[in-house]
Amino acid sequence: MLKDEISKALAPLKLERVEPGDYDKTGYHLEVDAAPEQMPEVAQALKSTGCFLDSLTALDFPEAFHVVYHFSSFRELCRTAVKAKVPKGKAAVTICRVYPGANWYEREVYDLFGLKFTGHPDLRRILLPFDADFHPLRKVFETEKADA
Amino acid sequence: MLERGLEEKTYVLNLGPQHPSTHGVLRVELEMEGEFITKADPDIGYGHRGHEHMAENRNYQQFLPNLGRVDYLHALAYNQCYCMAVEKLLGLKVPERAEFIRVITGEMNRISSHLLWLGAYLLDLGAFTPILYCFDDREHILDLLDRVTGSRLTYCYYRFGGVPQDIDEEFVAGTREFIKRLRTRFRDYDNLVTKNVIFIHRTRDVGIITQEQCLEYGLTGPMVRGSGIPYDIRRSEPYSAYPLFDFEIPIGSKGDILDRYLVRVKEMEQSLRIIEQALNKLPEGPIMAEKVPKRIKPAEGEVYAAVEAARGEFGCYVVSQGEVKPYRIKLRVPSFANLSILPELSVDTLVADLVAILGSIDVVVPEIDR
Amino acid sequence: MEFLTQMLGADVARMVVGLIAIIALVSVNALFLIWMERKVAAHMQLRPGPMEVGWHGAVQTVADAVKLMGKELITPTDVDRPVYHLAPIVIFLPVLLSFLVIPFSQTLIIRDMNVGVLLILAFASLTVLAILMAGWASNNKYSVLGAIRSVAQTVAYEIPLLITLMSPILMVGSFSLADIVAAQERYWFVLTQPLAFILYIVCATAETNRAPFDLPEAESELVAGFHTEYSGMKFGLFFLAEYTNMFIVSALATIFFLGGWRGPFLPGIFWFLIKVYAIIFLLMWFRWTFPRVRFDQLITFAWKILIPLAFANLLITALIMKLR
Repeated sequence: MLKDEISKALAPLKLERVEPGDYDKTGYHLEVDAAPEQMPEVAQALKSTGCFLDSLTALDFPEAFHVVYHFSSFRELCRTAVKAKVPKGKAAVTICRVYPGANWYEREVYDLFGLKFTGHPDLRRILLPFDADFHPLRKVFETEKADA
Repeated sequence: MLERGLEEKTYVLNLGPQHPSTHGVLRVELEMEGEFITKADPDIGYGHRGHEHMAENRNYQQFLPNLGRVDYLHALAYNQCYCMAVEKLLGLKVPERAEFIRVITGEMNRISSHLLWLGAYLLDLGAFTPILYCFDDREHILDLLDRVTGSRLTYCYYRFGGVPQDIDEEFVAGTREFIKRLRTRFRDYDNLVTKNVIFIHRTRDVGIITQEQCLEYGLTGPMVRGSGIPYDIRRSEPYSAYPLFDFEIPIGSKGDILDRYLVRVKEMEQSLRIIEQALNKLPEGPIMAEKVPKRIKPAEGEVYAAVEAARGEFGCYVVSQGEVKPYRIKLRVPSFANLSILPELSVDTLVADLVAILGSIDVVVPEIDR
Repeated sequence: MEFLTQMLGADVARMVVGLIAIIALVSVNALFLIWMERKVAAHMQLRPGPMEVGWHGAVQTVADAVKLMGKELITPTDVDRPVYHLAPIVIFLPVLLSFLVIPFSQTLIIRDMNVGVLLILAFASLTVLAILMAGWASNNKYSVLGAIRSVAQTVAYEIPLLITLMSPILMVGSFSLADIVAAQERYWFVLTQPLAFILYIVCATAETNRAPFDLPEAESELVAGFHTEYSGMKFGLFFLAEYTNMFIVSALATIFFLGGWRGPFLPGIFWFLIKVYAIIFLLMWFRWTFPRVRFDQLITFAWKILIPLAFANLLITALIMKLR
């Protein structure tokens, strides 16, 4: 089973949490919590088991950004959700050396949340105009203010 | 161009945002040496409407119409994915007849999306006529879907727990007739396009995507199937009524444009098969789940649901904090990842090839911009 | 007519009247061809095409021409003004002059010259110059790309075009178009030179920049190629030249391979026009059926396939002529 393979590959990294998810409720087979600095290694481990990066996004909570990575595989159904908590004011670590496809996703997160990724080769805005001075998916962002 | 002086070997060519073959407002900044591209940098976001931000500011039902406007060509798959995600959050069970109706209408929508792609793609390659034949066929689908969904393009048909309107005899009869008609038309397309020498020379061995690249860039849909990976969410992560039907997953071998083209054409045939089986097996029964709450307020939690849309995997990541409004909805759109490989594919190709490659990715730009 | 003849001498009078007739013919022909193209395209594409103005939209193109003439001539800033304004004229004039030597019927020819073919081909190659001027002067990268493609393409295709035409010329032993028609009294040359005919049609399609060889104005790649920046009647002149060029290459095909004005019952001019429009229809059929070839494939096709084939055809013809 791919789930066990991934767990085994992740074991040496001593992550915060690696446990099977409730597929019927959340759609995940494996839920992982990791520190942001560990993300390149986590990504490398997942890549070695043949997973691809399905999506990358962030959640804005008052104390920290949760960067959520979804991995999936072409071979076998196994959805892995990796979460990395990045405290406000800190930066996440890029995984686009491992997955070039993460490049655009990280740019999008930077664009919409203002969360920086260290080591990213080309961290520009991607969806909003380059001269925009706001990050719309932050919870403190007020639509009316931006319109004015 | 003249100002840059003669010592510069390359120049910058702006492909878009207003260009016949960027399929919407996509801009690709090309660095060119003669007719060869040395660097391509897609610039997206011209059609950014902030769907994800809108999601946080309205309740679950109010966000439903937005899904038809993300990818307007295969809107029903997006409807379905969002409904599936919310149904999972609420623990709703969709009745079987509703699932069948979702499959039938969703597959019809997939065919209409692929037909439009087929026509538009050949237009990119300089063949003017096929698009009108494709639109002729597509028109029948739109009429049929119009009967049940009430709209022709930006559908908002599925509801949490089922569908609001049942299909009638006339729809079933019309669909059967359409299936017969489209099968004869495929023969024409095959003769006119697939066997055309110029077409084959334009598409063979151009824009090859390897299996490693599929993995690295997180490509999905016909892009990976063209490269020989039989990855189709309808099969690998069966949802709705798909496990009940018998269909094949067409794959290519080389991963060039021709393979992607053939995969899409064969997919339409498989979609016809699915529709036919679904019509034959269509069960009687309710079309709406019982006890759908009027006020949708899921418990705290998160869910990721995915469907196979015409362009690849569409994923809907919904985070609920137990309120009437979702805390966050992330739309994982296939074109976004699929387009991100363009810079790598387009190096050292001609402009004509870039147009062919871009077309073969089958991007819907509003979907990327969201 | 008599007054003119007395004043200018028969020869000059013939030229003046002829030129006026040509200008009339060119305009009417272009209007008809555009209407025909739209109708042909429409019927191939399951639609009726223009239907509103006149019988089946027959006067639609007249209305369009009037609209085009009434449009503002926009000159973008930073264009190379003299060249930009000159290009539409340079493309149109040689096209007009080519009509001088075409025998529409036995008697209907303005000037029969012993170098008729060469004259037409020489004028036809002037088109390249005009396209290059238009593309360069527009100061638009798409236009320049279109112009560069056009030059490369026309140079590549003029060679096989001339060589294929050399085979019938060898058989006749004259460059005069009237002589070539006269030589086809017993049979058309398409029967003895089928390969040359096919090669000629391919080259002619490329020479007139029409699909599948319409790379200089490839819409999905270069927007509109060399005439992207032209508007109003300046654009109209490029359009007019394109359709007139189509007429000329089809007329040449008729003269060289289909017996020119020869045919039973009807007067020569009718036969000539029927054959010409039949070939034009063929060209239109190509355009609405085939996808576009890629630029490098186009050039490769010319140098590696067409030119050797044309040479082979010429050699075989020469050999047979010698042995006979």
